Amino acid sequence: MLFNSIEFLIFFPVVTLLYYLLPHKFRWFHLLAASCFFYMFFVPVYILILFFTIIIDYYAGIWIENSEGAVRKRYLMASIIANIGILCVFKYYNFFLDNMVFLFQSLNIPIASEHIPYLSILLPIGLSFHTFQAMSYTIEVYRGNQKAERHFGIYALYVMFYPQLVAGPIERPQNVLHQFHEEHTFKSSNLLAGLRLMLWGFFKKLVIADRIAVYVDAIYDHPDQFGWHNILLAIILFAVQIYCDFSGYSDIALGSAKTMGFDLMKNFDRPFISTNISDFWRRWHISLSSWFNDYLHTPICIAWRDYGQYAIIFGLLVTFFISGLWHGAAWTFIGYGVVHGVALTFEVLTKKTRKKVIKKFNKALYDRLSMLLTFTFLCLSWVIFRADSMSDIGTIYHQLFSFNTTAFQSLVMNSNMVEFGATSFAIAAVMILFMWVVESKVSYSLYELNDRPVADIILSSALLICILSLGVFNHNSFIYFQF
Amino acid sequence: MEKNEVLALVNEVFIDALDNEDIKLTEATTANDVEEWDSLSHIQLIVAVEKKFKIRFTSGEIHGFKNVGDMCDAIIAKLG
Repeated sequence: MLFNSIEFLIFFPVVTLLYYLLPHKFRWFHLLAASCFFYMFFVPVYILILFFTIIIDYYAGIWIENSEGAVRKRYLMASIIANIGILCVFKYYNFFLDNMVFLFQSLNIPIASEHIPYLSILLPIGLSFHTFQAMSYTIEVYRGNQKAERHFGIYALYVMFYPQLVAGPIERPQNVLHQFHEEHTFKSSNLLAGLRLMLWGFFKKLVIADRIAVYVDAIYDHPDQFGWHNILLAIILFAVQIYCDFSGYSDIALGSAKTMGFDLMKNFDRPFISTNISDFWRRWHISLSSWFNDYLHTPICIAWRDYGQYAIIFGLLVTFFISGLWHGAAWTFIGYGVVHGVALTFEVLTKKTRKKVIKKFNKALYDRLSMLLTFTFLCLSWVIFRADSMSDIGTIYHQLFSFNTTAFQSLVMNSNMVEFGATSFAIAAVMILFMWVVESKVSYSLYELNDRPVADIILSSALLICILSLGVFNHNSFIYFQF
Repeated sequence: MEKNEVLALVNEVFIDALDNEDIKLTEATTANDVEEWDSLSHIQLIVAVEKKFKIRFTSGEIHGFKNVGDMCDAIIAKLG
């Protein structure tokens, strides 16, 4: 089920209301049943994949806790292999075959295409998110930071809790498992803070992201037909789009959980004020970047720490290669990851030099320039992420850097749903500015109530009016649903 | 070795490794309290501490450190 669908408009209040009406002992079952229903709106049979990994990880957790030494590690490995195995089959198998075919063709080895055993299946939604969340559980039990969960239903709910099931935040067992055991009494502050955060998420998704998507999609569909002005604008707008789309999703997830008294981890922290790429990854998709840091990069660095800086660099390149691959089974995503890995390597190697340079500069000016440079890098790297193919990436960079205007088309474009003309531009610009001010410049938390009821009422009413009057309701899926 | 002695030596290591004279560690200090202490410098700090005390932590010990106090406890245990 999509958050921006009519079904969710009914699902959400019913589930929240029933949650509070039911006695505590039935609530886990209610949330689990609701989450199954939410998931089965996509491809119902795929819920069996979830059950398969839930059963394996549930028992793996208990067995890890009850055993010692090498046996513990064996159970952990079994759990990780099961989760990664599922990911490989459903997400990467066809990509692997494509690359093998390409390799054979490059070597002039003939292959009959009808003999290639492709799987004709849709990618199960949210697979990369919930398998990572499940692995986090068994790893934390192995490390002794989390007690194995004995209640099967609660463990299943940890993986399946509908707000974060299909696109995160990728939670940690220490943060959420205990919350499912605790009794949440109704608090109007939770309901109001949750609803306001949901409105904020819907605003970012429906009013900003889906509006500028019309322009961005038109350019990325035919990059060869547009001049550099259009391409430059699309590149910048895509940065805003992907932020509003994904952080909007996270806000709706956090908000809907909050209405029932659950606190999920913050996934974004004003990423566009980052002054370097390391800073960016502490502010962008925090639940994934901290996952990779805790479970992949740090273990690599610890194991190979005798090699000093080389271990850190090797760890970064491996981590970001895999992080790129996590996003999707395509070389464009891998390219996106590698570019970031290389940028971070540069930052590690120049850390001391940069520290000396900062001392000679005006700090405020240095920070502003760093922000601009970081944002430019991010925009250019998202070209690799967003482009439909490797050749499109070349076309876009070529059009941009050759300042080609011969292919210039009008900025006004039509799509099936929305005309993206001067009015749309103006609305998008004002709304982006409004978002920027609220998120960055005002001492007003969007995550908790601030004891400022007048400000809350004005903001919530304004958001509701904006969503209803300016929202783009064409049920665009969220960008991160594909992962 | 007493815990406050260990803490003082660890403090020296942090000052050298992070190139910041103002660092004043307590047992409760975590990475959130020291600006330069991020996931990348974390490993460099671990290596520097190991060199200083001529010890070797296990991966499990390193993953288990919640704050500077935990690290000092592990150092004392290693030194016997």
